[in-house]
Amino acid sequence: MIPQSVSHAVAPALVVLGAVLAAANWYLQPQRSTAWAASLLLLGGLAVALLVARRLTSNPARRGAADSIRSGVVFAGSIMAISLGAKLATTLGGGQGADLSTRASMVVIGAFFMFTGNALPKTLTPLAALKCDPARVQAFQRLSGWIWVITGLGYAVAWLALPLDLAKPVSLALLMSGMLVIVGQIVRLRWL
Amino acid sequence: MFKALSDPTRRRVLQLLRERPMTAGELSDQFSVSKPTMSAHFSVLQEAGLIEAEKSGRMIIYRLKMSVLEDALLGFVQTLGSRMKARTRLAANRGVKRRRLKEA
Repeated sequence: MIPQSVSHAVAPALVVLGAVLAAANWYLQPQRSTAWAASLLLLGGLAVALLVARRLTSNPARRGAADSIRSGVVFAGSIMAISLGAKLATTLGGGQGADLSTRASMVVIGAFFMFTGNALPKTLTPLAALKCDPARVQAFQRLSGWIWVITGLGYAVAWLALPLDLAKPVSLALLMSGMLVIVGQIVRLRWL
Repeated sequence: MFKALSDPTRRRVLQLLRERPMTAGELSDQFSVSKPTMSAHFSVLQEAGLIEAEKSGRMIIYRLKMSVLEDALLGFVQTLGSRMKARTRLAANRGVKRRRLKEA
């Protein structure tokens, strides 16, 4: 999970930045108004999520949920701000904007996998609620966490370093193999 | 967290918990230190958020609660610790040999 102090400040800033970029894009390319309106609508949704997180923060028992919402808003806001910024750069004359936007968005998605995987072994179910051997559940959670972190890292590196037409199949193959290993572990845990 | 990982006993506790959740008694049996000392070690690990205690009847069951990054850090510290231990042992052995040679 993203550190609390960072997500508290960055999440609303990213939503505002995204709204400004969407408005600037709308001003420069009014013929694509539907796309910009949809972007603004999504950003509105993120703002509502932040308001919900703010309400949840007042309840100590639900502070964890609020932090998760803020982390999600940081990742979604980053992807939107990067895409809208690159679109604006392309309109204003930057030729590589679209490529850069794709790469940057995919790196953020890779980072999201890494953050999610990193926090996975820390989410514990009460022992009484477990239906399998706790040792196996723990081993599965640790393995899943490691796989998501490595997959996310590989995904981000592939989109950073490989040519665009190669990055897509490589990152997809990485993602699929990560998922296959996890599904295999679930099958082993549940039925074997 | 670094304070929690700096002690070899606490690192060993984490290593044991990697295998499966264990009761306080099971963990204490693995070490030749007093129960209050072990309890203090558990408290440090709990404060660092590396383990979680759950009451089950009269027993306390400890479980690992480490993120992937913390897990990797534990592995790194453990490797570093064992290498330093081996080096210290090697240096001590050399000292003993030198002393014996001098005496001879």
